[in-house]
Amino acid sequence: MKRWLGPALALVAILIVPLVAPPYQTLLMLPFMAYAVILLGLNLLFGYTGLLSFGHALFVGVGAYTGAFLTHRFGVRSLEAILLAAALLGALVAAPVGALCVRYVKIYFGMLTLAFGMVFYTFVLKFYALTGGDEGIPFARPLLLGRDLSAIPKTDYLNGPYYYYCVAVLVLATACMWRIVRSPFGLCLRTIRDNPLKAEALGISVPRYRWCAFVISAVYAALGGALLGPPTGNVDPTLAYWTHSGNLVFMTLLGGFTHFYGPVLGAFVFIYLQDFVMSLVPYWRLIFGGLLALIVIFAPTGLMGLIAPSR
Amino acid sequence: MILNVLLGGVFHASILFLVAAGLQVVFGVQRIFNLACGSFYALGAYVGVSAVAAYTSVGGPPWLFIVPLAVAGLLVGVVGVVVERGLLRFVYDRDETFQLLLTFALVLILEDVIRLTWGASPRSTSGLYLVYGQVRVLGATVPVYNLIVVAASLLIAVGLGWLLTRTAFGRIMRAAADNREMAAALGVDLRWLYVRVFTLGTALGTLGGALVIPATAAMSEMGIELIVEAFAVVVIGGLGSMRGAFVGALVVGILRAVAISVLPEIEMLLIYLIVIGVLVLRPRGLFGAVTA
Amino acid sequence: MTTTRRQFLTVMGGAAATVGSRLGTAPAFAQTTGPVKIGILAIRAGIAAPVGAAGLRGTEWWAERTNKAGGILGRQVQLVVEEESNPKDTVERYRKLVLQDKVEAVIGGISTGVTLALGPVAEDLATPWLSWDGTTQKGVEETMPNPKWAFKSVDNEVEAIVAGMLTPKYFKGIKTVAGIGNDYSYGHDCWESYQAVLKRYLPDVRFVLELFPKLGVTDFTSHIAAIQQAKPDLLMCSFWSGDATIIMKQAAAVGLFKTMKGVFTTAGGVHDSLKKEFTPEGLLLGYNTMYFADPKASPLLKQFVAEYKAKYNEYPPYECDHAYFNAESYKQAVEKAAKGSKQWPGKADVVKALEGIEVESLSGKRSWRADHVQECSFYQGMTTHKNSYDFVTIDPIEVVSTKQAMKPAGAKLFDWIKSWKI
Repeated sequence: MKRWLGPALALVAILIVPLVAPPYQTLLMLPFMAYAVILLGLNLLFGYTGLLSFGHALFVGVGAYTGAFLTHRFGVRSLEAILLAAALLGALVAAPVGALCVRYVKIYFGMLTLAFGMVFYTFVLKFYALTGGDEGIPFARPLLLGRDLSAIPKTDYLNGPYYYYCVAVLVLATACMWRIVRSPFGLCLRTIRDNPLKAEALGISVPRYRWCAFVISAVYAALGGALLGPPTGNVDPTLAYWTHSGNLVFMTLLGGFTHFYGPVLGAFVFIYLQDFVMSLVPYWRLIFGGLLALIVIFAPTGLMGLIAPSR
Repeated sequence: MILNVLLGGVFHASILFLVAAGLQVVFGVQRIFNLACGSFYALGAYVGVSAVAAYTSVGGPPWLFIVPLAVAGLLVGVVGVVVERGLLRFVYDRDETFQLLLTFALVLILEDVIRLTWGASPRSTSGLYLVYGQVRVLGATVPVYNLIVVAASLLIAVGLGWLLTRTAFGRIMRAAADNREMAAALGVDLRWLYVRVFTLGTALGTLGGALVIPATAAMSEMGIELIVEAFAVVVIGGLGSMRGAFVGALVVGILRAVAISVLPEIEMLLIYLIVIGVLVLRPRGLFGAVTA
Repeated sequence: MTTTRRQFLTVMGGAAATVGSRLGTAPAFAQTTGPVKIGILAIRAGIAAPVGAAGLRGTEWWAERTNKAGGILGRQVQLVVEEESNPKDTVERYRKLVLQDKVEAVIGGISTGVTLALGPVAEDLATPWLSWDGTTQKGVEETMPNPKWAFKSVDNEVEAIVAGMLTPKYFKGIKTVAGIGNDYSYGHDCWESYQAVLKRYLPDVRFVLELFPKLGVTDFTSHIAAIQQAKPDLLMCSFWSGDATIIMKQAAAVGLFKTMKGVFTTAGGVHDSLKKEFTPEGLLLGYNTMYFADPKASPLLKQFVAEYKAKYNEYPPYECDHAYFNAESYKQAVEKAAKGSKQWPGKADVVKALEGIEVESLSGKRSWRADHVQECSFYQGMTTHKNSYDFVTIDPIEVVSTKQAMKPAGAKLFDWIKSWKI
């Protein structure tokens, strides 16, 4: 009972934000929800399987570019179709990349993912004709559940129907991930994280499980990436740059990778804090770097570790 | 004229080697992949500009400018002590993920520290690059300063080789790299070793930055750009291996130069693809330890 | 805003029964007393940071002057500065300026990658946006031909077109040309249009090499070697930041411009770092819209250059002029829309007043075209060492108006170039 109380309250809070918060604060919830979806996936890999990806922005990029391609080049505007395509493409790219990456752990895994991320980044930057290079591709306003909402102003579209659509995706993504980590599969992943040799001895195919976790996390990243597109209205290569991957890990750690909801909290705090600090001083990187150092040194379990130390 | 292309590549490789060597020393002994090595490189560049500016303003002879430049580049390496004692020592017993993230935090911090100190405009040492003139080699015009940098880099490579194989400090470093518990049990003061190793790694990066600066200009993003290239170098050469850094730097530097003249579209893409190829086929790199 | 809220209610159906109280929060009319807030977007980090700094300095100088002279319609100007970074974050900062800080207008924006995303957002938010240096061009194509709220900079390719017109005049016997530019829209657009223009004047010219290093690269030795390999008669370069200084220095080190001519369309953006020691005479150098040492400079420009030098110990680049023009044209449009009264005009009236307005900027008269693109003059010329500075200046100076060098509203760039009578 108590386990559900926190998330339920958070959900209610998310639902009433557009009704009570100023429009700009509501708009910031959109990247928060998109990042929350991305980080739920990233943490399946990091928190639950023990693999740190430093190239996850690759899949965010895949999702975002899928949406941009579909809406801008092919006239497919249905967000359901976009999300489905993003998930499929995310999985399709992740399948071979993952197969190569999961053969290694720790720093080598991190480096290989970083290298793949940079290949994708360089590709979208260099192949102007296809990807628009640094200009990127516009992400046209998608249809929601088949309804064309182009008549209402963008801000109202984003803070109304699109907002609640994102909430629905986030709730679904959270529920699925909850099921995944509580399933025997999730248990296997944790065993692999804690003791790969023991897992092997128990008959778990370690590489296969790692690969599955990799693909699932890529699907989440692609879904989140597709959700990031419409508020900006444009996708560009910086979404896939290695520092963006670094920020994703930063958010996860900020919220707490040892806790299921940690990454969600991390995304929330990161976005609102960045917004606050950026308006305050031009040197927000210094402050965020300091913050990250403090977390790594003094609070490795992140904010969730401070709020709910026992789990 | 092919010589021009090759020399361009070798010049780039010399700088890459210094930064990558710093990365390798630290990774070899401390098992920390230092993302901030690019930021140290940038820091060295800015300090180098300031040192040369100060030197010029007190009226030092232009042809000796490389002395204050190199000294400043080496001296600013002491930030390594600060970083090691102030940050890294807290996370030695943690998962290497945290160590990596801590160096990512450093990347963010140093970028703004540089902007706070030197401002946003590019900084350069104006025309000093040309005081040593040029030589003509087989029809190609080569700035003497480039040759000095290449020679300095070679000298440092030899020096590092000597340090690692011929001195007590080098033997301790290699012992700790192989088995740090055993080294500690044999009486090696790991704390003191780590300070020295990290400072050495930092100083290699800052020296690289200082040496390159007469030929270019210091810009706040230079570190973030370089880290991915240095990363390619150490992966190709093999993590932790000094010989690997040397060969990897040459491979990346020359490949990049050749790609630019032959197929400029695929320049960096080619390097990343090689990185992936190496990681997939031979993850320990060309010279990496078998245990990796 | 109120009516749009209502539409949103219909969409949201019954779920919104409790929203009533919020309807009052969005004011239908702007506040008309107290200071007037103007949002500024400036790049603060990375390779374009010096350009962002120059724009901000130009704006601050304008704001100080304006406030000393009594502000706009008696209201003091208050600048709200946010950072321009990547498109996603900058779109967020833009929305913050309009929705949260409730600024009357937003000024700024440099990178086309960013402003391409900002354009539609500015239209959505129904607040005037005046861009320093960014366009809403996709390549050389305009994506927003009839904007209501967005006011855009000069087309990206104008400097390259001017340089293309001047190349045959100053360099004789050019048969082969190589190009180097940054790997982003500006670099590609400049190279494409420079080629198209030069082909009109010199039909037999051949383009033997094109290089597009990534933005932020600081070592061009390999690129220069490739250029030497290609042996062109002329090198065209559209760098405009620290990279312009670097390539100039590295080119000098191998004597590149002893064997070929050089055109630097935009390097005047970092003109005071182009030291005589490594920048030869006889290059075609572009200063964009403002030449700090213009012998025909207005008293305004002279005062600005003197005060800028005194405050920052640098000589101002063109971005100050773009920024000053944007702010000043906004001020005069507000005054024009108020029609002599002290009543603060609505945003839509200001936008109407901006269309076609001509004001005195640092560089001289500048105006807004009816399709919201800037009109101004471009300064280019041949580098010379005959001056009192330690960096190069230009002599002779060529001044080319955008009326000659920018495609007319609605025209296709390459068709327009083909239609020239030469």
